[in-house]
Amino acid sequence: MREHTSGVRAVVGLVAIMGILAAAGCSSGSTTSNGGGGTPAATSTPGASAVSTSQCGTKPGAAATGTPIPLGAIATNQPGTSFTDIPNMAAAYFACVNANGGINGHPVKLYIETEQTNPAQIAADAKQLVQSDHVVGIVGNTSLLECTIDHTYWEKLGYFIIDSGIAPECYSTSNSAAVNMGPRYSSDGAVQYALAQHVSKIVFDQSNVPGTGYIAAGPAALANNAHVPITQLTENVPISDANSVAIKEVDDAGPNGAVVLNFTPPEALIILQAAQKLGLEDRVKLWGCSTPCNTDFLATSLGPKWNHKLFVNAELTPPDTTSTQSMKLYEAILKQYGSAVSGGIGSFSQMGFAEAEIMTHALESVTGAYTVASVNAAIKAVQGFNTGMVCQGWTYGSYPMHIPNNMDYTVTPDNGKMVTAQGCTLISAVDPQIKAYRSVAGTAAMAP
Amino acid sequence: MAASGGSAAADTEVPATRARQRPTLPRPGTGTLVRAAVIAALLLFVLFALPQLMSLYYVDAMTQVAVWSMAALGLGVLVGRVGLVSLGQVAVLAIGAWVAARLLFATAQPYPLVLLEAGLITMLLGTLIGLPALRLRGLYLALITLMLAGALTVVLATTNFPNGGPGFLGYNGSQVHIPPIRRPSIAASDPAYFRYAVVVAVLMFLLVFAHIRTRPGRAWAAVRQSEPAALAAGINTWFYKLWAFALASFITGVAGGVLAGANHYLYSLNFPTYYSITLLAVVLMGGAYSLWGAVIAGLLWALLPSLLQNWGVSADWLTILFGVGVLQVLTTAPRGLADQVPKDLARLGRAARGLARKRAPSESSAG
Amino acid sequence: MPSWQDFEPFIVSGLALGGVYALSGVGMVVLYQATGVVYLAFGAVGAMGALIAWSLINAHAPGWVGWLVCVAFAALVTLAYGMVFGPALAKRDPLVKAVATLGLTLVLFGLMDLLWTTSGGQSRAITLPTDNGGFMIGQIQVTWTQVISLALGIVITVVTVVFLRLTKLGTAMRAMANDREITATLGVPVRRVEAAAWLGCGILAGLAGVLLADLVALDATTLTFLVISSLAAALIARLRSITITFAAAIVIGLVHDLLTPIQSLSNYRDATPFVLAAIALLALSSGGGQVLTRSREEA
Repeated sequence: MREHTSGVRAVVGLVAIMGILAAAGCSSGSTTSNGGGGTPAATSTPGASAVSTSQCGTKPGAAATGTPIPLGAIATNQPGTSFTDIPNMAAAYFACVNANGGINGHPVKLYIETEQTNPAQIAADAKQLVQSDHVVGIVGNTSLLECTIDHTYWEKLGYFIIDSGIAPECYSTSNSAAVNMGPRYSSDGAVQYALAQHVSKIVFDQSNVPGTGYIAAGPAALANNAHVPITQLTENVPISDANSVAIKEVDDAGPNGAVVLNFTPPEALIILQAAQKLGLEDRVKLWGCSTPCNTDFLATSLGPKWNHKLFVNAELTPPDTTSTQSMKLYEAILKQYGSAVSGGIGSFSQMGFAEAEIMTHALESVTGAYTVASVNAAIKAVQGFNTGMVCQGWTYGSYPMHIPNNMDYTVTPDNGKMVTAQGCTLISAVDPQIKAYRSVAGTAAMAP
Repeated sequence: MAASGGSAAADTEVPATRARQRPTLPRPGTGTLVRAAVIAALLLFVLFALPQLMSLYYVDAMTQVAVWSMAALGLGVLVGRVGLVSLGQVAVLAIGAWVAARLLFATAQPYPLVLLEAGLITMLLGTLIGLPALRLRGLYLALITLMLAGALTVVLATTNFPNGGPGFLGYNGSQVHIPPIRRPSIAASDPAYFRYAVVVAVLMFLLVFAHIRTRPGRAWAAVRQSEPAALAAGINTWFYKLWAFALASFITGVAGGVLAGANHYLYSLNFPTYYSITLLAVVLMGGAYSLWGAVIAGLLWALLPSLLQNWGVSADWLTILFGVGVLQVLTTAPRGLADQVPKDLARLGRAARGLARKRAPSESSAG
Repeated sequence: MPSWQDFEPFIVSGLALGGVYALSGVGMVVLYQATGVVYLAFGAVGAMGALIAWSLINAHAPGWVGWLVCVAFAALVTLAYGMVFGPALAKRDPLVKAVATLGLTLVLFGLMDLLWTTSGGQSRAITLPTDNGGFMIGQIQVTWTQVISLALGIVITVVTVVFLRLTKLGTAMRAMANDREITATLGVPVRRVEAAAWLGCGILAGLAGVLLADLVALDATTLTFLVISSLAAALIARLRSITITFAAAIVIGLVHDLLTPIQSLSNYRDATPFVLAAIALLALSSGGGQVLTRSREEA
């Protein structure tokens, strides 16, 4: 018996030592930024003057000391999928605001709940935020399932969510408006670009996560309208055999066809690298990818063979080639307050920045007490707001559905960086959902 | 419950001479009555007081505890009672949830009927799989259940769970608004559904308890002690092992039905193959042999993550804890997975009695 | 039904995939032959080793240092586990020993996600220098890494078969797997032989970790639970024959990829390892499990 218990203790000790050694050895490695290691500011344009972060608030330097305004966010965080960077960046923005006057002297407090794609847990998280944390607004939600599961709850209670959407309900319900395009409209953008290059066939391959039929409907509508045949494929993720996936896609597309992918960056990378190792990258006319591929990391990992061969939909303004005030403020806040944002400069932190910006703008217009009613009325009233991160002005409004970001850039890798291939382009209204949104939202949904 | 179950473990078939003497079920003594009263009081508290005291966040978590206790109960029947390890119970849970969801969308049947049907259909499938699988033993049986679970996970990833769509599969992938799986009309709110789930769980536990106290329980105990000896004593071991498979599948199927109503939305990514491995870990940690072990397993699986989330601790620590727990349980139970708990409890009982004796020295007989 | 030409490239990729499965499958059967333990943590130790190698390479260490540390880490953890839990569980059922390795798997899995957090748009990748060269078979390019992995599988199979049959240490291992107690009484240095077996398996796990991280993905979940698919090959061989494990792995890989162009089955092809193992065990068995206790060796 003694041998057994001492043995258990020994192995626990050994594992602990292993863990500590591994942690010591890799503490630098686990926080790689988008640019491939290094400080976030490394990729900002040379010679850019440092912007003071105090611009985020109304009273530079004055710390807010009033009663806090509680806000909430729910984000997926499980092995293989983590969106915590988005609410963490929003929290960084609010920290900046709190250090510079707050909202009329009130600091903003963001409660972040993480979930592991368990529907019961997601529903419970929403109730926790409302009943225990008493949040008056929701900003920064980014989840594979949350919009589907909680939207009736938010509608019942009158919360109007500012989120980064993924599930269909993030774009098709009255109480959710996203700063991003989500997989369907982002895939639309990629397919649209491919169609504009006069390909003769589209192969659209996506990861087999909830909502594939909804996502596929957009590209299908676009391809059918252009009389270009389209093959719809799905792959189980995580992909264990990328070779067969790449071969299948290339064979189906043919030499004058396009392969358009909708995967998370790791999966997309594996497929593209498999295609390269198999020598297939030139066997189709072009490759396309929805917005998750838009990272410098991907550009670096892919190498020069993919220069101007892969065209990625970018739903947010490319940070590398933009030096507006907003972009500089974003980079400055990320540097000063964004220690919890592990991805550095990139679309995730851009989304968090934009969402917090919009929320702050809404809160600043509230007169009187900060209640669920007053705060959400202010959110709904946001109209044509310039976030600096998307092509159009951002509008919430009282519509039965919201797709406020419906213009995209297209970027392409060029020697380790993503460069713009096409500027702001409207997503085609051939997609019935886009058409429906533009008819209810009117000019608010069109180009600025 | 565990200690009284242990005394039945030594019984085999009752020889003819003894059959004339006493009925096979022992009359409940005061100890058993006290225990039953405590359990009843606990149950009343859980059903009526607990939902008022907890926030909705914890009510939702406790509903999951009820569901996963049932799944752990099913696995415990196999592992603890009969000594069969199944590494595919979460796939069985998925089947139960699938059947329940399909019926709830396609028909307007009352909820208890749907749960029963889900349990029965899952039981049928479990028995069908058990038929050939039981030709294998020990390690091979465990690994084949893992293989079957893996295959089912792949199939589910393509067929998905019913979401109100048409056809046999009932899945419509293009919906912009997915309808939720309905709940019973008397238990639509979260606290009410929690009570409903607890009642169903109690029924499942009673079902298993009834099995343990009667012939199947004794047959299982004999098989677990030594299968050749049980065979020699004339027990149809294959039949009773299949019965255990059927019972475990039934309970897990019903649990799947309750899960469908609890979650409102079912996704294939909620039933990955490796969950079956983690479920086995918590069942071993909770104690595969005791019925209370299933409740502990449910708490470990479903309540602990919610607590950790609230305290800001990463869920990964729980995975590590489960791994350490498995190693701990297996290395400190030298005679087998199912024997340690009653031994520990007996030791605990002796220690408690020793303590009681020490506290009243005047009553003990002088040396 | 697709034409022969459609199938042709999938034969090549199928062989490569088979090589991937063979690495883990053969590694697990090797240890089972020697110690009676189905080492289900094979994938997890390899995965963690690969992640450590990635961290070192990311911190600008030379590639070979990373690979070496990966192999060393896997060997060390496996040896430690074997030395602590081998004797503790020696008298127990093979089932209990296998479930115990699941405990180690969970511990490593949790540690990996803690230490190498999944963050947003980041992904990790390992590239080997052998990725960049290769040769063409038909329309498809085959990289040297794939060749190496397949060759390694063959080499390990042959070497282990020879080793277990012909060398003194190998015979001692087989004897120990059969009955540890009697072997000990016969004067075989049991603990040292055991240590050698575990160490060998750990080194294999580390090598497999590096290659799989390159060939499949550097992702903790994928690599840890890839072992379940490789187990299918081992199960088809009843955990007994190393050569059959290797052959079964190749067949699984081929069938998996050859199903790709068949539209109606393509989405289900990931179930290939499981279905083939189930068929082999259930349909072809005849009172299979009985032999488990005694005659485990047969390479």
